[in-house]
Amino acid sequence: MNAAQVPWAAWLLFLAPVSAILIGMFVVRPLKPEWTHLPILASCAVVTVCALLLLQRVLMGGSFDLNFYRWAGVGSWGVDFGLRIDGPGVAVLSMVAVVGSLIHLYAASYMEGDPGFSRFMLVFHLFFLAMIGLLTANNYVQLYLFWELVGAASYLLIGFWYHKESARKAALKAFLTNRVGDFGFLLAILLIIDSFKITHFHLLYFLVARATAAGHAPQFLPAIGLLLIWAACAKSAQFPLYFWLPDAMEGPTPTSALMHAATMVTAGVFLLVRSWPLIAAVPGLPDLVAGIGAFTAVSSAIVAGTRKDLKRILAYSTVSHLGLMMLALGLGRVSVAIFHLIVHGFFKAALFLCAGNVGHAIHQPTANVDEVGGWRKALPWTYVFFVAASLSLAGIFPFGGFFSKDAIVDAAMERGGLFALSGLLISAGSAFYIFRMLFLTFHGERPEQKGLSAHPHESGSGLLAPVGLLALGAVVIGAARPVVETLVAGGWTALPVGIPGYAQTMNLPGSTEIPGVALKALLIGMGMAALGAAAAYALTMVDAGWDWRWRKSSPALERVFDSDFGWKTLVDWFARGVSSLADFVGRVLDKKWWDGAIEGSGRVVQAAGSLFSDAARGRLNEALWWMAAGAALLLALGAAR
Amino acid sequence: MSGAVWATSGALFAVGLATVVLRRQMLAMLLGVELMVAAADLALVRGACRFMDPEALAAVAVVLAVAAAEAVVGLSLILRVLRSGRGLDAGELSELRG
Amino acid sequence: MSLLTSLWAVPALGAAACALSGRAARWTALVFSLAALGLSMAALRPILVSHGAGLLVEGGASGLFGISYSLSADGLSLALVALTAFLNLICAFASWELEVPAGYWAAFQALAAAVNGVFLARDLFLFYVFWEASLIPMFFIIGLWGSDNRRKAALKFFLFTFTGSIFMLLALLAVVIAHQRATGVWTWSLPELTGTDLGAGAPWILLALMAGFGVKVPMVPLHTWLPDAHTEAPAAGSVMLAGVMLKMGVYGIIRVALPLVPGAAAAWMPILALLAGVNAVYGALCAMAQTDLKRLIAYSSIAHLGFCLIGVFSGTAQGLAGAALLMINHGVTTGALFLLVGFLYERAHRRGLSDFGALATRAPRMAFFFGFSILASIGLPGLNGFVGEFMCLSGAAQSPILFGGLPFYALIGAIGVTLAAAYALPAFQSVFWAAEGPNSVSPKVFDLGGRESAILWTLCALMLWIGLAPQPWLATLAPSLQGLVR
Repeated sequence: MNAAQVPWAAWLLFLAPVSAILIGMFVVRPLKPEWTHLPILASCAVVTVCALLLLQRVLMGGSFDLNFYRWAGVGSWGVDFGLRIDGPGVAVLSMVAVVGSLIHLYAASYMEGDPGFSRFMLVFHLFFLAMIGLLTANNYVQLYLFWELVGAASYLLIGFWYHKESARKAALKAFLTNRVGDFGFLLAILLIIDSFKITHFHLLYFLVARATAAGHAPQFLPAIGLLLIWAACAKSAQFPLYFWLPDAMEGPTPTSALMHAATMVTAGVFLLVRSWPLIAAVPGLPDLVAGIGAFTAVSSAIVAGTRKDLKRILAYSTVSHLGLMMLALGLGRVSVAIFHLIVHGFFKAALFLCAGNVGHAIHQPTANVDEVGGWRKALPWTYVFFVAASLSLAGIFPFGGFFSKDAIVDAAMERGGLFALSGLLISAGSAFYIFRMLFLTFHGERPEQKGLSAHPHESGSGLLAPVGLLALGAVVIGAARPVVETLVAGGWTALPVGIPGYAQTMNLPGSTEIPGVALKALLIGMGMAALGAAAAYALTMVDAGWDWRWRKSSPALERVFDSDFGWKTLVDWFARGVSSLADFVGRVLDKKWWDGAIEGSGRVVQAAGSLFSDAARGRLNEALWWMAAGAALLLALGAAR
Repeated sequence: MSGAVWATSGALFAVGLATVVLRRQMLAMLLGVELMVAAADLALVRGACRFMDPEALAAVAVVLAVAAAEAVVGLSLILRVLRSGRGLDAGELSELRG
Repeated sequence: MSLLTSLWAVPALGAAACALSGRAARWTALVFSLAALGLSMAALRPILVSHGAGLLVEGGASGLFGISYSLSADGLSLALVALTAFLNLICAFASWELEVPAGYWAAFQALAAAVNGVFLARDLFLFYVFWEASLIPMFFIIGLWGSDNRRKAALKFFLFTFTGSIFMLLALLAVVIAHQRATGVWTWSLPELTGTDLGAGAPWILLALMAGFGVKVPMVPLHTWLPDAHTEAPAAGSVMLAGVMLKMGVYGIIRVALPLVPGAAAAWMPILALLAGVNAVYGALCAMAQTDLKRLIAYSSIAHLGFCLIGVFSGTAQGLAGAALLMINHGVTTGALFLLVGFLYERAHRRGLSDFGALATRAPRMAFFFGFSILASIGLPGLNGFVGEFMCLSGAAQSPILFGGLPFYALIGAIGVTLAAAYALPAFQSVFWAAEGPNSVSPKVFDLGGRESAILWTLCALMLWIGLAPQPWLATLAPSLQGLVR
């Protein structure tokens, strides 16, 4: 296949956002910034259509992977950029396109009137473009490029309301934490180039398979795997690098919905999917991934149940679900992981936008459980959408989440041991926190009854329609599972490589498994979810004061949860340590000691000079003394010979 | 006997040097310089006698002429300095001005 | 006059012309800068056509002690000459409205002439003469038209660099004399001197050469002149200093030091690579602690050139090519940053991080360019900074001089890349996003005008172009470095 045969849908996938941004920035923004969303929404529509067309194409066997140009190369070292349209990529791309377009629509209404509206829409769309690039990259360097671009867009969007100090700090924290992860990614890429001489996924899979089959795996493969996992942990907010995500809620709600729920944070999981042949080739690494995922999922689900800010509950929920995806991946159920990624995108985005609507109702960017309550009559539509999305999240049949989440729990149960336990805990935990949020916001006492005043009103259609569509998606998406499985299963072998024996060497775990809906999963998963929901009901509706009572009675416990079991405190210490080191090096070591020493040596020379400059002061008598002394010395020397 | 002239010359030179270095008054310093020149002359004459070298006597003539010229220049400079009213103390005169 | 000679002679004539032009000096400078850029493009053409493999030579007969007037230029030299001409033109535009005497313009032209001479010289004596000659215009630029502490900074710059060059001269003399003893021929021509057997003195000669070039790069611990010089220099002076003069040091290492003493260099590479890594990390750490914008960018330059040297000392093709590209990139990116700080200083007469605040609202265009440049500087892929750094680190990872079998130098470099965000973004935030403090001078800052925006658009477009399609640039630079690949 050559460049001329690339379907126009693939070209448009990039051309549309690029032209929308350029038109928006250079034509619309100077003239009428309020209209910036128009070219951008048009581009979203085009991208969605293209993504779905490419999805159809891949389902009919039309995957392709093509290099377009040599980005950089010297001698035998070279990196090419190109396009890879294959099953996993196009599956996630479709979700990103649909969910992304709906959130763009929401953002156009939500951010209306904000002085930075134009800037927001442009950076938002730049992020969208970067995400598209990330999902269609055909080699690690190109993926890294879009990975970092996504991070930069995230920085600009979290810090969008930059006059708020909390937003500035959150943006910096997010970027720096991601940079720390990217440190691992960069090293991994360097080691890949060192070991394999290429970064192209396609060829890499073949080389790894061949090397491991022959018994001599490259020396650095474990290190590469670990570093890639490290990078994924930063981007997908897993332990130990997850702490930036809750603070990232400082950004406007559309940002939180799109980036920190549906798309950017899933990039880490996607990276691991792309890297799975490398990671699976190292014994123990898949278990590490599963372990990290399980641990993060459980611990953040617990913390989510204690948060008071609506968006923060959802943030921890996102961390938890990303942990679920990692768990699925680690257990070898790659297609289930991707499917959960897609489903999660729908219901989490819907939930975030509902939270945004709740906040919008009281003219705030977000809302606290103390300020809300009993609003199911005041915000009827938001309530309906919220319930639909929550049921999906909790994994209740037949809502979408059931097909993905319970499949993961099923896999965990099958594995047994700690994984099984964590599967059960997550089922119960996620139901608990989401129903707690539901009950506290839409049921229970209204703020007036608690002594606060609030006049919530339902949002306009501009803010409701996208949410509704997303909630609908969250409900019905379960039907798409067979499609996703087909796409993922062919993900690594659908592309002809032209290397003899390629298919035989690709013995990848998880590429052909298709777990069905087991009755066991139905009962156990839903049973735990019901347990969690019941607990939430008991602790919010029946015993309405419990939520604030435990906080009052043990503030130490609250501090434990606030600091994420102490991890946030440790990270703060580390950051302060680095800062102090920098201060020491920059101010003391460099300026005072080293520069001081050099300037001191200069002063020594100056002092020596001034000692001798006395001789040149022009005083006749002193000069004569020196002369006489010199003459005497010469005479003595002469006499001594 | 043979060493007496050398000793005298040396003594004269030392006195002259001492005068130059230790005295601060310009005229005295000039006197000291002249003493040193005279001592040099004496040594040259004795040398001419001792080593039968007529060129040394020629050197004496040259030195005498140079000493005279230098005395003229020195004295006129001292007069200038005196006329400028800055006194004849060599310690004070450390800048070339006027 | 022949093409290569005109590359340094035209700016020299320009210097004289500017000095005589009085009030119209800036126009004269503009004309000569354009001419210089045109000539450098003309000289580059045969190199581009032959995909980097060309070599232009102008020779002269040997004179006393073998000193001859001979110039040679390959892809690397001409790229650096073109960079000098380009940055000189940018500086001319940036300084357009300044109230400065004709001497200012003459100094920049003279600087360009001397620096071009360094990049073109084939005879080592000529190299040395041009090297020293470049100090004088920069001394005056810093000392006469800089900020409050300019005298001291200019003196420090001059003495530091001069002391280093003395060592360089001694080393060059040693090589020439050794050559004469071995072959009986006096020569200062670089190609003829490479491969001289230097015996036991080779490590000392390497040390002396590295002292001379290392001061210029600058390599830690010979770097302390740089922050002061950059802080006190006028904006255009900082651009030329960072964009061009620092590259003289790297160029000297690539062109002179490594080829003249290959054996000693090979033996000492691990230590040198370690020092380069220290540059990257130490520079970043120091930058994190700075409160003056220009000082911060100065330390970031130290860090960037650390990456450059990691690439040079890796001895791999991609490392060397990456280092060469990084030289060009750094000139563009740091040039943009210094110009922005200069524009800020012109308006507010202050450059402390805490002196501003909320500038993104008052001066959105400035915020955009500053953000763009700072992202390029910290190596955001897609912009030019990343390509050079990536190739240098890749070279280090695959280098035959691995430390204990591990890509140790790549690890240090990666730490440097991570730390870069830690100094750059807080600085950006303090100036543009943070709230205005009580002593803030932000009210005095108005947004960029047409001329200033045009300059920055040019630089930013270049950053994007090199970032997305670096291959043409690499193709021009890489062949010149073939000889150093082991």
